[in-house]
Amino acid sequence: MRVPIAWLREYVELLDDSQTIADRLAMLGFPVEHIEERPQITGVVVGRIVELDKHPNADRLQVGKIDVGTGSLLTIATAATNVAAGQTIPVALIGAKLPHITIERRKMRGLESEGMMVSAEELALPPEWFEDGIMQLDADLPLGTDVVEHFRLSDDVLDVEITSNRVDAMSMIGLARELAAAGGAPLRLPSFDNPGTALDAPGVAPRVTIASADCTRFVTQRFDGLRVGPAPAWMRIRLALAGQRPINNVVDISNYVMLETGQPLHFYDDAGVRDRHLIVRDARDGEKLTTLDDVTHTLTPLALVIADEDGALGLAGLKGGKTSEVSPSTTSILLESANFNGARIRRMSAKLGFRTDASSRHEKSPAASLTSIGAARAATLLTAIGAHAYAPHDFGEPLEPAAPIHFPLRDIRRLLGFDQSADRTRRHLESLGFGVTPLDGDAFSVVPPPWRRDVKHRADVVEEVARMAGYENVPTVIPTIAPHEIDGGEYHLEQRVAASLASLGYNEIITYSMVGADSFAKLRLGNVDRQTEAIEIRNPLSEDQRYLRIMLLPSFLAHIARVDRPLRIFEIAHVFTHANDYIDETQQVTFALAVEPGEEHAWHDPHFLRLKGDCEVLIRELTGRTPETVQDSRPVLHPGKMAAMMLDNQEIAVFGRVDPRIEHAYDLRLRVYVGRMLFNRIPPYIAPRYNPPSKFPSTYRDLALLVDLDITAAQVEQTVATAIGEFCVGVRVFDEYRGPGIDADSKSIAVRATLQRYDATITDDETDDLIARAIAALHNDLGARIRA
Amino acid sequence: MSELTGKLDELRGRFDAALTAASDDRALEEARIAYLGRSGEVTLLRRSIGQLPAGERPGAGKIINDVVEAMEAALEEARTRLQLRAFDEDLAQRIDVTFPSVAPMRGSIHPIRRVLEDICTFFERHGFAVVVGPEIEPDYYNFDALNIPPEHPAREGFDSFYITDTLLLRPHTSPMQVRTMQQHRPPVAIIAPGRCYRRDAVDARHSFMFHQCEGLLVGEQVHFGHLKGMLTGMCRALFGPDQSVRFRPSYFPFTEPSAEVDTTCPTCHNIGGPCRMCGGSGWIELGGAGMVHPNVLHEMNYDPDVYSGWAFGFGLERMAIVRYDIDDIRRFFENDPDFLAQFA
Repeated sequence: MRVPIAWLREYVELLDDSQTIADRLAMLGFPVEHIEERPQITGVVVGRIVELDKHPNADRLQVGKIDVGTGSLLTIATAATNVAAGQTIPVALIGAKLPHITIERRKMRGLESEGMMVSAEELALPPEWFEDGIMQLDADLPLGTDVVEHFRLSDDVLDVEITSNRVDAMSMIGLARELAAAGGAPLRLPSFDNPGTALDAPGVAPRVTIASADCTRFVTQRFDGLRVGPAPAWMRIRLALAGQRPINNVVDISNYVMLETGQPLHFYDDAGVRDRHLIVRDARDGEKLTTLDDVTHTLTPLALVIADEDGALGLAGLKGGKTSEVSPSTTSILLESANFNGARIRRMSAKLGFRTDASSRHEKSPAASLTSIGAARAATLLTAIGAHAYAPHDFGEPLEPAAPIHFPLRDIRRLLGFDQSADRTRRHLESLGFGVTPLDGDAFSVVPPPWRRDVKHRADVVEEVARMAGYENVPTVIPTIAPHEIDGGEYHLEQRVAASLASLGYNEIITYSMVGADSFAKLRLGNVDRQTEAIEIRNPLSEDQRYLRIMLLPSFLAHIARVDRPLRIFEIAHVFTHANDYIDETQQVTFALAVEPGEEHAWHDPHFLRLKGDCEVLIRELTGRTPETVQDSRPVLHPGKMAAMMLDNQEIAVFGRVDPRIEHAYDLRLRVYVGRMLFNRIPPYIAPRYNPPSKFPSTYRDLALLVDLDITAAQVEQTVATAIGEFCVGVRVFDEYRGPGIDADSKSIAVRATLQRYDATITDDETDDLIARAIAALHNDLGARIRA
Repeated sequence: MSELTGKLDELRGRFDAALTAASDDRALEEARIAYLGRSGEVTLLRRSIGQLPAGERPGAGKIINDVVEAMEAALEEARTRLQLRAFDEDLAQRIDVTFPSVAPMRGSIHPIRRVLEDICTFFERHGFAVVVGPEIEPDYYNFDALNIPPEHPAREGFDSFYITDTLLLRPHTSPMQVRTMQQHRPPVAIIAPGRCYRRDAVDARHSFMFHQCEGLLVGEQVHFGHLKGMLTGMCRALFGPDQSVRFRPSYFPFTEPSAEVDTTCPTCHNIGGPCRMCGGSGWIELGGAGMVHPNVLHEMNYDPDVYSGWAFGFGLERMAIVRYDIDDIRRFFENDPDFLAQFA
């Protein structure tokens, strides 16, 4: 909210500079987002045009004789066309400093000009909101009055953020009250007595029928003898500084009272309301209403309207209607100062898709008692511009005083961590308008002021105490935490996965959890099953973020395609699927290698083996155990280059090369190898058992075998290990060859067996004997032949 | 005898020459074998003593022993000399130490996780447990249980992604407060980090996906000052030992009193002026905090007269931006390799 400091000064004395005032507001809970610094203008005074003549030497100029209260008239030329004799205007004297110029004595077409007639723009007011030409002031201002000082045009404007619970502070008086309480200064409120109270109302008195529980209170009042025209300069200037465009005296008064007190008002042309009978009711289905902005709405019963017998006149709390609009010829008006159920106004505003200054207050449920205050201020201001005010009429629920809150003073120490005297606490609360009655046993009975509907609990009172004492006085204390049994194991597992993968050379990335429907097609998961398995967002920001990921791969592929350089990346994130009637949300880690494409054998892939090694290390790190790799087949991965890692016959991870057709769908130049692991499949860590090394040397033998193509390395290793028995301490296939020199249906495999005894040095004879057994087993079980 | 002496002298001369000529241990070993080995010249000479008259044998033996001893000493001396020369040669080597290193294959932890780790480490040191939970949450956990009933104006601040009428992607990590308090009696001391989602248009400061870190402490005698104490400690762990923390009154439905938390700007050291990070205020906004609202405690069946507590919820991106001087929140999700490499 734009808050001119000049306006605040109406209610509270403020001696500090703008920054200090802003800081004080921030420490009261009203952060100032921006301080708009006003230019320092000097030398502009109130003057009256006594005579006005054509400039003798220039058709487009006029020359005025201006009385600025000094006894002699100033001769000033102007190019403005809205000037006339008798007008009261701002005049810049010789030496005056305006935002872009300093006024000097100078000749205009041969005629000495002793100053300048001033427009709103030259006073740093929005020119499009004021007269086109010289600004018009009110005739009752003493001539020679310093315009800038009088209107406080050099006071800065604060942009204040007001939290949704403090609708009472969405007003100049509300913020002034806070500053007064915090600074120990008196609050100077205008009179809230309604001048219309004593007058009779001839003809039909206005009345209101409240036909909806969502209207709590409605004050109406009739005014006549009105002449619609511009509002006084002081009001227009204040509104403009507060960011509100001046329209005419009636509309400006409703805006002024709203900004001053927080109570939104609406004026109806008395002639536009049948029998002066206003009805608050739900709109009828299909009911049409054209609002002041010339938009015609087709309503549903969700909308709350103010109507007469003929139909809707306006949207309650939101915007008035065209048929009862105050026009330049209006002389008699009806006031609406009402209180509505905030939730209803918010729903209506959301449904209709617009908000107004009025609705932004109504939707936060301001105090119902404010309706009378708003009416009284409007009546005072309307009377001041010559209108007759008739008696106000209140409708709706009677005003209930707030319930007292039992406030034990020990709550201050218990919840804030500091002590202060009961007297100080009482003084602070009373300065904010709270009623305080001391009770036995160190407690207060606290009655919140009517405007503070946000204060309901002891804790709310504690906050008021803290705000007044100053949050800076809350001590800084490290607590001692009592023991508890909450387990943080899941987080630590995640940290270990991240640390392990980083140590293996993978870079952690974070990608968005949402993907588009196209990703299912690209992943060749386009069949109905997989896509309906994915969770759909009802209100996505865009189509390419409509679904939650069922796997991280699409994000990886998009990233790799964009970066287009070899990468090692991983991400830990949730994946989401529908499972029967619940949502399955699981933490998953995915890691990938993106490599330059190269010529490889059809039967050998070093990148796959690299990824396999990383998987093994990762799983060993997390479980303490070495997994077994088994061939497998899954969508998304290359059918001949993928595998699962198992522990105790439970699958822990899946890895392999991405299906080349998917790489192609993502326009990938690089080849991608990917592994993934679900966190809920990771078994608990089992500490490996230590194996003492043998004191005796080991020996090894390498065997070159010819086997059929379908014999696996694992089979060879297993056969050798079993045949050698307890002295076998290691078997590893270390080479494979196919091609010239070998039958097309065979491959050559090289395996090394390492042998060792724990009780003696193994002899060559023993070794040869055991290796011979291994060769026999390889031959018998796998059909292997020793290669010549 | 003199014949023996003469032979020995001549042999010794050749041996010394061989030692002098030797440039490595192998040459020395060859010399040792040629003269002092099992069939070396001196050994053969010693065997020939047996052919001498019995009276001359002891004398001849002593002469040979003396010579052998001297030769072994010379050999040792030559070995030492060679060793020293080798050291000298080694130590005379000079390389260009500014030559680029051989880069190890090393990955990196994302800056968001780095910040999170430091926060969690600090809080775990003080007895907090780090808990994690789902990102899709019912509105009860996101709002109702947190004193934000339907129609509450504060719901507007959480422009959320909805899955069904009542299920949504959590717009904050506060549901973990509810989950934890439902499962445990006080005391409760947790940190709950995780991804959150709001329907914000993406720009340099906003992202529809972001990370929050929730903190909650509930027990007996827990007060606002403890919150300030822990957050001051956290900021010092993250930004440096001179950090301080400022509370400003604010409003959140689930805390009362509530505060916005600021820390001194580590970029300009709270001086303000033309500082890109704090905009000249000297303060960095961290996020919201406050004492857990009695309605929330009550909903969890915690007696608000006995137990009190505090909670905070901060954005990790914000903290990483300040800590690493990052210019744009989008950097965290672009995952540019050159960006990530800076956190290796």
